[in-house]
Amino acid sequence: MLKTHAITKKYGEFFALKDVSLAVRQGDIYGLVGRNGAGKTTLLKCIMGLARPSSGEVEINGQTQNLRAARHHMGFMINPAFFSYLNPKESLEYLCQVKGIKAKGEVGRLLMLVGLDGVKKPFKEFSLGMKQRLGIAGALLGSPAMVVLDEPINGLDPQGIIDMREVITGIHAQTGTTFVISSHILSELDLIATRFGFIEEGVFVQEITHHDLHEHTRKSLLIEVDDAVKAWAALQVLGIQQPQEPQEPGFSSSREPVIQESQAPAAGKGKGKASQLKLTTHLDQSHLIARTLIDSGVELYDLHRQETTLEEYFVRLIGGDPSC
Amino acid sequence: MLRYLRSEIYRLLHKKSMYLYLAGLAILYALFAFVRSGGFTPDSLISHAVDLFTFLPPLVGGYFFAALYTDDLSSKNLTTLIGFGMSKTGLVLAKLILMLVSCAVLYGLMPLFHCALYAVLGWPGSAANMATVYLFALRALLLTLAFAALSGIVVYGLQRGTFAFVLYILLAFNLISSMLTVFVKMFVPLLADYLILGITDRMVTGLLLGGPLLLPCIAYVLYVAVAAALSALAFHKKEMEF
Repeated sequence: MLKTHAITKKYGEFFALKDVSLAVRQGDIYGLVGRNGAGKTTLLKCIMGLARPSSGEVEINGQTQNLRAARHHMGFMINPAFFSYLNPKESLEYLCQVKGIKAKGEVGRLLMLVGLDGVKKPFKEFSLGMKQRLGIAGALLGSPAMVVLDEPINGLDPQGIIDMREVITGIHAQTGTTFVISSHILSELDLIATRFGFIEEGVFVQEITHHDLHEHTRKSLLIEVDDAVKAWAALQVLGIQQPQEPQEPGFSSSREPVIQESQAPAAGKGKGKASQLKLTTHLDQSHLIARTLIDSGVELYDLHRQETTLEEYFVRLIGGDPSC
Repeated sequence: MLRYLRSEIYRLLHKKSMYLYLAGLAILYALFAFVRSGGFTPDSLISHAVDLFTFLPPLVGGYFFAALYTDDLSSKNLTTLIGFGMSKTGLVLAKLILMLVSCAVLYGLMPLFHCALYAVLGWPGSAANMATVYLFALRALLLTLAFAALSGIVVYGLQRGTFAFVLYILLAFNLISSMLTVFVKMFVPLLADYLILGITDRMVTGLLLGGPLLLPCIAYVLYVAVAAALSALAFHKKEMEF
């Protein structure tokens, strides 16, 4: 539905975006995640035609030319922008006329949805949260097939964040609207997004589904032993099956246990060649696992539970300091 | 574009400050006429209109320029419009049409207001007087549109509202035109007739006294068209400001 092909955006010598290619499918709630200044807003501006890419192109519904027509059927919010003297109803009526929306009651419905019905004061007297709400209502006007929201929960209070989440998931469930939502708060996007794109310093780092993200971040049991094969044979007694294929170190994408071998001896432990087993099942049987391994003559160096939080995953992904 | 024109008229009509501002101007105008009414002569109806209507481009046109052009910048509405797929050239043209329509309505009412006011003060004008007063309102309208078209280049090229508004006001108070006229008359006298003040004056003279109209009309249309084309070009070149 929406693709970017190697988009680069340069401001002088500074690369705001470097060869960014992403693909948003119809019906996605696509979470664009990155730190402040990572390039999220610039990417969204390029998508909406508000910034011209230095190279690369945007594809909307299979078209790379004449995107103005395609954008006419999109909703977006990049910084809520309304006339300071118009109240919420007048602001949305104005946008309705710009977009040629004639559906009766559309403005009232959206104001109700974002909790601004009955508000008579002009936009200039709005709090940041109210501005965000009105911006989202403006983006949803006319039930567009795709909605682009830049940091929609900025400035919202906790109840506002919950409300907004319910609005987005509700609309997505009812109409299958595609959402592209940027945020630097992964845990918040995690509650609604179906797919994620990670961006850092203008570089698109990874695209991942919600399911895979949780596979990468779910709890596991890390076991360090002297002999992985022997340990594995011992664990079969407990019904723990050997994985068919070795997994990417540190990231498990199946429900099978993972075995990794570490050549470097752990400092201070006096052990030789150590192997690491990562189990993502049988987490509540660590005591049985330990006893079984020891009874089988396996040298057990370490056994502990590990859980990667979304934030840790994100920081690790973008190469930052996990202790941040 | 029609949808956009309609939405902008809706917005203008919901700008409460417009009613207050115009009412304030009308009261000032009436007070000014009342103060001068002691020394009225048979020529006052027209001569006062000529004097007072020179303030239409800066005071009334200036308000509409701010409401139509610079409000878009201060509210970041340009980004909304472009994001919704509106064409930049269409936007430039639509703004000129809106400026023309809104000022035409106000400037069209001004001669009526002026003549009615002077009639109340004891100096009723004839139909011929009214027609002459309308000619000067037309002159003000033509100047306003030309100044807006010129300032539009700054609006879209630099996307700086205050700068554009100051330029419009300087143009509308004839400060720039006067300096330019002096300069051109000194160095390129042939060009003096083709400055916007000269062009509109020749149009009014042509209408009033029956002089040639075609050439000044063509020059005027070209003037506005070139300014609009430059605005559109500048808008296409310039990144949207946030």
